[in-house]
Amino acid sequence: MGRYIIQRFLWMFFVLFVISMITFAMMHAVPGGPFTQEKALPPEIIANLEKRYHLDEPYWKQYLLYIDKVMVPHISKDANPEMMDEALVGISLPGGNYLRWINFGPSYSSRSRTVNDIFREQLPVSIQLGIISMAVAITIGLPLGVISALKQNTIWDFLGMSVAIFGVSMPVVAMGPILIWIFGVTLKWLPPTGWGAKPPFTLFFIPNTIGSWDFWKHTLMPAFAVGTGYSAIIARLTRASLLQVIHEDYIRTARAKGLSERVVTTRHALRNALIPVVTILGPMFAGVLTGLFVVEQVFGIPGMGKYFITSITNRDYPVIMGAVLMYAFFLVVSNVFVDITYAWLDPRIRYD
Amino acid sequence: MYSKKWTVILGALMVVSMLLSACATPTPEEVIIEVTKIVEGETVVEQVVVTATPEPPAAEMRDNVLHVSFGPGDVPTLDPSLGTDTSSIQVVEEITVGLVRLHEETLAIEPGMAESWDLSDDGKTYTFHLREGIPWVRWNGSAVEEVLDADGNVRYVTAHDFEYGTKRTVNPETGSGYAYVLGMTMAGVEDYLYAENWDELSDEEKAELRDGVGVKALDDYTLEMTFLTEAAYNLNISGMWVARAEPQWLIEEKGDRWSEPGFNQGYGPYALKEWVHDSTMTIVANPFWPGIESVPQPVIKEVQFSMLDASAAFAEYEAGNMEVAGVPSADIDRVKADPTLSEELIIAPDGCAYYYGFNTEKAPVDNVHMRRALSYAVDRLDLVENVTKGGQEPAQWFCRPGMAGCPTMETHPDLGIKSSADKAKEELALYMEEMGYADVSEIPEVQLMHNTSEGHKQIAEAIAEMWHETLGIQPTVTNQEWKVYLKTIRSEDVPAVWRLGWCLDYPDANNFTREVFAKGGSGNPEVGGLNWLNEDFEQIVLDAAVEPDPVKRTQMYADAEQILVYEDAAVLPIYWYTMVNVTKPYVNRTYSNHGHDYYEKWSLELEK
Amino acid sequence: MTNSEMMIPEANDQQKERSLWMDALYRLAQNKASLVGGGMVILLVLMALFANYIAPYSFSEQDRQLTDAVPQWVTVVFPTIKSYAEISDKFSLGADYVGRDILSRLIYGARISLVVAFVGAVISLFIGTVYGLTSGFFGGKVDDLMMRFVDVMYAFPSMLMIILMMAFFRSSFAESEPGTLSYVMNSIDQRFGGMLFIFIGIGITAWMGTARLARGQVLSLREQEFTLAAKALGASNSRIIFRHLLPNVLGPLIIRVTLSIPGYISTEAFLSFIGLGVNAPTPSWGSMISDGAVAIRTYPHQAIFPAIALSFTMFAFNFLGDGLRDALDPRLRGTQ
Repeated sequence: MGRYIIQRFLWMFFVLFVISMITFAMMHAVPGGPFTQEKALPPEIIANLEKRYHLDEPYWKQYLLYIDKVMVPHISKDANPEMMDEALVGISLPGGNYLRWINFGPSYSSRSRTVNDIFREQLPVSIQLGIISMAVAITIGLPLGVISALKQNTIWDFLGMSVAIFGVSMPVVAMGPILIWIFGVTLKWLPPTGWGAKPPFTLFFIPNTIGSWDFWKHTLMPAFAVGTGYSAIIARLTRASLLQVIHEDYIRTARAKGLSERVVTTRHALRNALIPVVTILGPMFAGVLTGLFVVEQVFGIPGMGKYFITSITNRDYPVIMGAVLMYAFFLVVSNVFVDITYAWLDPRIRYD
Repeated sequence: MYSKKWTVILGALMVVSMLLSACATPTPEEVIIEVTKIVEGETVVEQVVVTATPEPPAAEMRDNVLHVSFGPGDVPTLDPSLGTDTSSIQVVEEITVGLVRLHEETLAIEPGMAESWDLSDDGKTYTFHLREGIPWVRWNGSAVEEVLDADGNVRYVTAHDFEYGTKRTVNPETGSGYAYVLGMTMAGVEDYLYAENWDELSDEEKAELRDGVGVKALDDYTLEMTFLTEAAYNLNISGMWVARAEPQWLIEEKGDRWSEPGFNQGYGPYALKEWVHDSTMTIVANPFWPGIESVPQPVIKEVQFSMLDASAAFAEYEAGNMEVAGVPSADIDRVKADPTLSEELIIAPDGCAYYYGFNTEKAPVDNVHMRRALSYAVDRLDLVENVTKGGQEPAQWFCRPGMAGCPTMETHPDLGIKSSADKAKEELALYMEEMGYADVSEIPEVQLMHNTSEGHKQIAEAIAEMWHETLGIQPTVTNQEWKVYLKTIRSEDVPAVWRLGWCLDYPDANNFTREVFAKGGSGNPEVGGLNWLNEDFEQIVLDAAVEPDPVKRTQMYADAEQILVYEDAAVLPIYWYTMVNVTKPYVNRTYSNHGHDYYEKWSLELEK
Repeated sequence: MTNSEMMIPEANDQQKERSLWMDALYRLAQNKASLVGGGMVILLVLMALFANYIAPYSFSEQDRQLTDAVPQWVTVVFPTIKSYAEISDKFSLGADYVGRDILSRLIYGARISLVVAFVGAVISLFIGTVYGLTSGFFGGKVDDLMMRFVDVMYAFPSMLMIILMMAFFRSSFAESEPGTLSYVMNSIDQRFGGMLFIFIGIGITAWMGTARLARGQVLSLREQEFTLAAKALGASNSRIIFRHLLPNVLGPLIIRVTLSIPGYISTEAFLSFIGLGVNAPTPSWGSMISDGAVAIRTYPHQAIFPAIALSFTMFAFNFLGDGLRDALDPRLRGTQ
């Protein structure tokens, strides 16, 4: 098992490496560069700018330079590194040395910021929104799924599933403005847009205002808009999985032993039925994170999703690369956890 | 058994969260960011109490804070040398002041940082006399304070700061998007800005080119600027954001990061207080700004800009959280009918023009009759009344009326192209006769391309259908994402019809007719665009730039426009933009005609 | 009868199989909700196929005197509209921002949404199932290799991939020479109002999840008695995969795919939202919703009608999928 996990993590690096290569190729294949503007810059100036960011080098060299900066730790005497050359991991070593690792470089379109600045300020907001949205999804989805399964083919089943499906069938593009209209503008219960936390964050993503209503009131509408969509997935998966489990032999045995229906459902059926549900939470969270663009746009939330899409239209190469790698990291890690949890929770699966 | 497994899962989760927090361990640089509170040197900064501690506001008092909206997306920069977009420039205009300043309503030139100026006999060199005693300021985390030098003396804005800033803009290494404006007008800039083989030049050669730039501090408070021609708009150029004072000491220390909050230094009526990237930006009144006639001391204490798209900003306005907001075109009907909102609505002209360009080398629009037919067939009034609905003015030509030198509908009612289905059909008949086509189906397909955007799509759909209705042709409408689009319309293979817009940099016809459509302009680049060159047009706009008599000058631009939109019909003007804004009744404001607001002239009625 | 007994192959295979599927059909017919769902899907397909005959107007015809017009009955639901809207019963569901009939655009728009749903589902189900079954069944090195490839694909944020690909296709392919593959693809894309590249984008990113699910299911199934029994009896690999494993994994896969259909449809809506959707004036529900959403406070009908159409479609697919699942899961046989 331990060996398996180590193997998977080594693979993870390989996967990230491949992804960085594909992304690099794709983003350079799309026409237009970071310095294409409406008021066209003279070629001389573009040449200077490209030189500044090494964009005049051949592609393979640019790629190697990038990988070197991101993946290879650099140790130098320079204790006060250049401001725009900042790394995600920076440690002062004894002897005046300074170790820098994971340096995604500067942003081309926000010239006063590095990609790491953007991660530090934008990504935590997305993570906060993602976690709260997942909580909403589970709170709505799980009970609906359980009710539907226990009352299969009754009106309760139909109603429960209808509610769940309604959540997923209303696109955020439409649901967002409707929520803003009702709760933000008409009732004035919640602020229509914005986010209640700003950098710096504790432990990378915990907002300092977490205890205040001001933070939570900003989260309710967007988390609901995102969460309802995912609650349908959870509800249906719970229902399907519970239905399957209920017909298993050991449940019949449990019933035959004379255990009460409540004990059978909660202690035996539900616990086993939740295995697939738990395992999808990881990838689902990664999916939520990468899919937050629309809700961030509609509610004016300064998250990573919005920034990421803008970086594509701006051809902000370092931001595109950094963001893809970051998202890919989340996805890969969550997939590794799925496999591990599968193996742990279901003894019939073994990894040779 | 299960509990054991759950423990392991929990443990694994903890490992991940620890990994995450390890990533987040603040790097030493970050700490420095936090610590750098004192500007320079070891000197203890003299704390200046800025304003009397505000009393806790009584229940019926408003905060003296104005909330307005930018468009969506982070403000790209606050570096005057780098700004190219309205949001960046809006803030730069408030935290710095140009040598001269345009009055936002009359567009007249008023003294800014220069108290007065002299013009040399040849009309090309201005000598500016700067105001004394205006300090550089910064936000220190709790108040605005003066910037001190290493000896503890207050740094005042000098002519050297202006010289440094202007030269930094045109330094090829800066890569400024707007340096070209100085390149076209200021002496010595082209050699420096577009220097060939820059990297191979020695430091002396670079310094020599730099010294050749036509801006020079004669002493601390006297600045000389030399221009290429005696054009009327030179003074406008000297006031633009590309020619601002910049803090050399700070830029040399911090590099590109200097304009970030925490570091940023300015000297305008407001100072940068906070910038939550991609979310909000706050500027705060600068108590050290002395207040001059054209730029008074601010009344409103803070202005907060939110980076929201139009619908979100308007929702905030309706919820009462914003004092000023643009009205999305979809909501205009409702606003006009609403008893409260209609009172708060103002539709004002804006310095922008919306147009379609023809690729004059691509069939079928390689024929002037076909181009005129398409242009006549666009029912501009129908478009602005039923589709865009924002009170836009149908455009018969390109140059925005109201700019110096631009024709107006009063002086030139019949200039250019007036929408007319009959004339469109006549021109189409001429075209088909010339080409020997018997039926419209023989006409090659017209391809209309716009950059990806909701608004552009609506207009393109309407215009395509107008062409279909009037001329019987069925154009294809496609869109491309902005950067791809820019590349496409500047390549060999430009679609037959493409769209662009133009907003003023300075209020003069030169900035419209010449800078956009003379060969090499942004709408008529060397490669692609209109693929159009008319020597007469080139000559007229060149001469008009230096024509001293305003009436003659306007006529010259009118002649040029006639060539552009009718005789050669290389451009299809559509409408002139308007600003559709709602403002809360407790805001006393000015309405700007040049796209940037001067909040120091605004005030709020604080009593509810 | 226990699972294992039921699944052991018998001599009269032919008859057994028919009865399996007949039984599934019978149980599907018992489930009213899924019958309704199936009926709605059929209706939608018919509507899309015969859009030309059903729609009262063409999808591109404009009446700009009636932009944003609303019919009388909508003003009953949203009374405030009365004070500013153009009221006209010419269009039964009102008109959009350039005066086109919303009903006609909805009817034509069903084509895009259904085709997106269909293409996404087929690609996902077909490639994903075969891939996942093979990988899970063989295990070991094969599984490792195949799943590592899925890992790489899966770790790619799919939205980014679609956006980059769309920008790439739309621009580079537009400049290609006649006669080349990219030229042909571009002309097909143009002809179908920009749909082809949306399909490719969705197709490339759609199958990985199904593959992982199929493999996960097989991993646990292949250790179960009935598979071991079949193996012991000397059944061939393909026989075990398609006869014994496939029916058992199909249930979860079908739920997964029907659940993904809303995802594909909303991917199209998302692409419309960021401007990478179908070309104007081709209508799609996604683009109608994102166009209408900005006007939701003033002209709610422009977004709400397509949103309702979208919801109905999703209800239909979801209930149909649920019914199929209950019907196809062999372990639920005889429970009703």
